[in-house]
Amino acid sequence: MDVFGSFALLLAFVCAVFAFGGGIAAILTRHPLLIKSARQAGMATCGLIFLATFSLEYLFFTDNFSVAYVVSHSNRDLSALYKITALWSGMEGSLLFWSFLLAIYVLSVLITYRNKNGELMPYVGVVMAGVQLFFLMLNNFVESPFKVLASSGADGVMSFVSRADGNGLNALLQYPEMAIHPPNLYSGYTGFTIPFAFALGALLARYPGEKWIHLTRKWTMIAWMFQSCGILLGAHWAYAVLGWGGYWGWDPVENASLLPWLTGTAFLHSVMMQEKRGMMKVWNVWLVFTTFLLCIMGTFLTRSGVVQSVHAFAQSNIGSWFVAFMGITLAVCFVAYVKNSDYLKTENHLDSMISRESSFLFNNLLFLWACISVLSGTLFPVFSEWFTGNRISVGAPYFNRVNIPVGLLILFLTGVGPLLAWRKTSTESLKKNFGWPLLVGVVAGATTFALGFRDFFSVTCWTLCAFVAATILLEFYRGAKVIRSRSGASYPACAVDLTMRNTRRYGGYIIHMGMVFVFIGLAGAAFNRDVQKSMRAGDTMQIGPYTLLLQGGDTNAEHNYTAQRMNVEVLRANKPMMMLFPEKRRFAGNNQENGTMVAIYSTWKEDLYVVFAGTDPETREPVIHAFLNPLVKWIWFGGVVVVFGTILALLPNRRSVLVLAPSQQPVAGQPLPHAVTTQVALREGHD
Amino acid sequence: MTKHRTLVATLALLGMATLPLIVPAGAEQFSERAKRVGSQVNCMCGSCNMTAAGCSHPGGEFSGPCPAAKAMLQEIDQRGDKGETDEQIIQAFVKQFGSTVYAEPPKSGFSLVAWVMPTGYLVLGTLLVILVISRWLKKNASEVPASSGAAAKVISPELLERARKLAEQETKE
Repeated sequence: MDVFGSFALLLAFVCAVFAFGGGIAAILTRHPLLIKSARQAGMATCGLIFLATFSLEYLFFTDNFSVAYVVSHSNRDLSALYKITALWSGMEGSLLFWSFLLAIYVLSVLITYRNKNGELMPYVGVVMAGVQLFFLMLNNFVESPFKVLASSGADGVMSFVSRADGNGLNALLQYPEMAIHPPNLYSGYTGFTIPFAFALGALLARYPGEKWIHLTRKWTMIAWMFQSCGILLGAHWAYAVLGWGGYWGWDPVENASLLPWLTGTAFLHSVMMQEKRGMMKVWNVWLVFTTFLLCIMGTFLTRSGVVQSVHAFAQSNIGSWFVAFMGITLAVCFVAYVKNSDYLKTENHLDSMISRESSFLFNNLLFLWACISVLSGTLFPVFSEWFTGNRISVGAPYFNRVNIPVGLLILFLTGVGPLLAWRKTSTESLKKNFGWPLLVGVVAGATTFALGFRDFFSVTCWTLCAFVAATILLEFYRGAKVIRSRSGASYPACAVDLTMRNTRRYGGYIIHMGMVFVFIGLAGAAFNRDVQKSMRAGDTMQIGPYTLLLQGGDTNAEHNYTAQRMNVEVLRANKPMMMLFPEKRRFAGNNQENGTMVAIYSTWKEDLYVVFAGTDPETREPVIHAFLNPLVKWIWFGGVVVVFGTILALLPNRRSVLVLAPSQQPVAGQPLPHAVTTQVALREGHD
Repeated sequence: MTKHRTLVATLALLGMATLPLIVPAGAEQFSERAKRVGSQVNCMCGSCNMTAAGCSHPGGEFSGPCPAAKAMLQEIDQRGDKGETDEQIIQAFVKQFGSTVYAEPPKSGFSLVAWVMPTGYLVLGTLLVILVISRWLKKNASEVPASSGAAAKVISPELLERARKLAEQETKE
């Protein structure tokens, strides 16, 4: 099966070469058969990548310990779920997994648009094939997952060998969330290839209008949703498994996943300017290019060993391949832009400083600022080593200091933006729209201050959260009120009706609401506290209102690990509440690694987070580390709301958004009749 | 109806305003100073890449502050008791371990670049946005005929066409 997998990968490479080269020839000659064959080669590439991926999974499931990758990342006792996830647990497999996910996207695009957009699709196909070609090159010639073990005998002749068992999977990866976190994150990374292919393809083809934006919107949103999910699941995994009490450590690999998310979010906002007003065309194209390049950079940072990270794969010389690919991609983008920049001429200009358009400009500025700050902070140790010879570390305190104010400004704009009208906002409109939300924000801020909270950023954050939540609720209320005045239905029913009439706008508001919840949770981190204590059975420790009583511990041998479990009783006001069972796991396999299973009692108010840290080296007593982390549940809940809002925004509208009189052609300089102006004046909110 | 609306608005207002009520206040085991200063210096065990205050060893035998981090936190307390300032304590660690002990770059020498960069980006970016906006505003003003004061509020046929296409697109999806 390893030969079959290798052969499938090699054939996929050949097909990708044809899809790429044949595609270019098809564009130059416009020969229909060549166009068709290039497309079919693209499809065949995807099919062959699927076969190669399934072959590797087959090798895991059949415990084929003659393959080096299987030996390094699996063992006989590994459960079926983790034999699947072992695919992406190492460098070679994760790169194949990249190709696999990209193939799913590429195949979906090729099938969806096989009979549509004939002028654009050959260009898109070539770009997608180019990206696939790069990864297949790595899969075949640099980091092949199908390498077999061999040893040389006394006579110097090489022979294949097979091991009795494998080393096992990294303990930190043996957790259910690891089954979904990387696929989500990688789906985000790979998904941004599609908008990139459409943007570059449209630029090269000088494809008229904003159609490429419409075509890619759902692909961008899908990629963005996966990226958001991946980031949050990664944070949750870090929280529940690593046992350090936090969820985001500004580790370089975490930062790498955040970078394309930031530019992708900026793109999802600024793209509205192009759709509505024909503005920011250059900016949007470059945002898509940048997002894609940052995805590649994220993959490069994780694998090249340029930055130190607990998440990083083993170091290898793969970095130079990525640098070359990024360089070529950037050069192609730049040449395409220079040659076709007249195609990106803006059609409209700004009417007023106080308008939705200018709020989008500032929104983009802040996202880009955050992105560049995180990127330069992440790479600063490398730069400092180049320039001074000393590696100056840049840790969480720096990133918090730089990014918290940016985050708050973005939060502020989240509230302000939707209240501003397209083109121009009048003073009356400002007063009308901002009155209640401002009042809510001020009252919330004053209350938190009066209650004794003095952390400036947390209080500001909650003030802004209240302000933004009020603006969103007000938008729903106003829209629902109009529908209610006609239908007489209840407010919730009208709000649902309203949302389904314009899923993009109200889905967007729901995403904003989700982000408000996330921010509420993030602000709670300023009030985290923890206690660590060596304890004997019967000992207690106090944290906040909780008393933890260690009742004892036991050891259980499980299928692939041995768990040492502590039985901790939680009391509140001397009344027993529950039992928590934090664990320390020692995994089988040659690696003999340790894993932590944190026990968490989670409420909307706070998380009681209990870790069995291990045994005190001096006293040999178990050490319990307890944390009280306020409002963490809001972060995960916010993530769920964001995903829900994104799915909603992807749904088609139930009814027509704009009622237009088809025969009505306005005369330049004459105002339109009221019925049309109010509907088309682009006051419509977040879509 | 008005009463109902006022009630809903008041409840929403109170709900948001009292949300932070549920957040508790803090207390701990290591001294506040140890945690504060410990979060500004790296644990020098050489394997965890974490601050002294936040040290844990994922995947290690013991998930918590390692002996190196504990020693640093204790040293912070000892030096604090002797009356040393936070900065003096950090400088003592720098003398001991070199500049790698900093969890965030110091605001001097080459490290200052790390702090100047974000501010520089912001200033440059803001200037750029203001420049773009003012250029667009100027261009727009020059394109609008002086005779028609209300012209800016009028929807051009191109804009109408764009909106129509958008509406068609969105209802088709």
